[in-house]
Amino acid sequence: MSSKFDVVVVGAGPAGLAAAYKLASAGFKVLVVERGREPGSKQVYGGRIYAYWLDKYLPEFRKDAPADRWVRKERISLMSDESVTTMEFEVVKPEKSSFVASLAAFTSWLGKLATSAGAKIVTEVVVDELLRDERGRFVGVRSGQDKIYADYVIDAEGVNRLLLERAGIVQRLKPEHVAVGAKEVLKFENRKVLEDRLGLSEDEGLAWAFAGWPTEYLPGGAFLYTYRDSVALGVVVYLTSWRQLATPVYDLAERLRTHPYIAKLVAGANLQEYSAHLTPVAGISMAPPRFSYDGLLIVGDTAGFLMHAGVLIRGVDFAVASGVLAAETIKEVGRPDALSRYDDKLRSSFILRDLLAFKNADKVLSGQFAFDDMPKLVNAFLRNYFTVEDRPPTVASALKTTMGEGNWSLAKILINTMYALAYL
Amino acid sequence: MSSQQAVKFLTIEERLNVNAWDTDIYRPHIKIKDPDKCRFCEKKPCTYMCPAKCYVQQGDIVVLSTEACLECGTCRVVCPYENIDWNYPRSGMGVWYRFS
Repeated sequence: MSSKFDVVVVGAGPAGLAAAYKLASAGFKVLVVERGREPGSKQVYGGRIYAYWLDKYLPEFRKDAPADRWVRKERISLMSDESVTTMEFEVVKPEKSSFVASLAAFTSWLGKLATSAGAKIVTEVVVDELLRDERGRFVGVRSGQDKIYADYVIDAEGVNRLLLERAGIVQRLKPEHVAVGAKEVLKFENRKVLEDRLGLSEDEGLAWAFAGWPTEYLPGGAFLYTYRDSVALGVVVYLTSWRQLATPVYDLAERLRTHPYIAKLVAGANLQEYSAHLTPVAGISMAPPRFSYDGLLIVGDTAGFLMHAGVLIRGVDFAVASGVLAAETIKEVGRPDALSRYDDKLRSSFILRDLLAFKNADKVLSGQFAFDDMPKLVNAFLRNYFTVEDRPPTVASALKTTMGEGNWSLAKILINTMYALAYL
Repeated sequence: MSSQQAVKFLTIEERLNVNAWDTDIYRPHIKIKDPDKCRFCEKKPCTYMCPAKCYVQQGDIVVLSTEACLECGTCRVVCPYENIDWNYPRSGMGVWYRFS
């Protein structure tokens, strides 16, 4: 097969498909090459998509994208061996600012949108190499013996950027760049059971983050998101934790599901799917040196466009926006050797602004305080405060008892609080 | 459905079994480059960082079976000796996520 397209996109994920949709809509001849059986079939995420930037970059989603539940309730739980402390936030009036959906469903929707605009998606094809001409310009892709040529190549291969590594643009992924997430989709008998268990009204969604016990107090965390009649329950650990972790990663999600606190919420719900994926955690510090080269634009997770700030984790809105900016660049410059405008567009967009603003979040999130000291300290303090025995505790006495129990130092707590305030 | 009922811990094999697969057992997409190197690997992080338990320690070597690989890429990144030749499965093979 040898054929010529205006644009070839590697990977039918949110970033690649957003680019394909916009370019096809503008009349470009676009081919998307996807390794899975269909768009979305190799994808995993936590479960939530933020709407604010989608409204600006892909407002079509409001019409018919598959949003299972709009998030009304947010919970943050700090778990220790002995107890769980949960903070719950709920808006009084429902609003539509983020939603839970299966990424397979969302991506499938975006794939149909791109196809209806005229983009061609070929599935079950693995791209092995980005092709360059003698001057180094990217001119297409190779899959096995087949070569596909195009004026522009958009690399949306995802977090495992084998193609960028082979092209010599980035170094091998390192443990400090990524975390692994293992996730269970648990299906309830019906949506009513789910809503009763989690205190939700019809169609309302819950986004829940956990720190401490689920990761054995190592950097990362756990999550629970509500789909329509199922929940996503998962654990994320940094790959740098490989020396300390005692429970194997393959049992971490199940260990959380069977924890008494979670077990009573999901009892009776059946496992529907068990999935795993890497997620970028280093943000801008794992980005390629540039996002555009002659003939090539790099979008989505491939570029490190995922914002990881502990509880706030955003990938899909960054992916879609970067795909749209890549498409706009191609439309505006009209030649493959002037694509650096994409870097300019990224710099003046929320993408690089937000990633730069949180570039030190990792310093807080990969340290010991956020996932070890803090969950233990908060739980120990509340336990001491709520335990009424001979002499009722005061706030001060409970704090004093707590500080005496562990190796807590007030200075350390204050310093880490300052870090969190500065970087998150 | 009672919320008091006991919750059974499912083994990784039981959990992987619920997934949809299209497995290509004849052409493994991941290989250990030099199996002898694994003997000297003290912690063997692949054996407990892989979310699908594809890597199992037997004696001082590591046995890899890729049939139930979730294609995440963790092993490639955590292998301290860069001893894993990692690719995606060919032509649509492998895990097929539908609900995640």
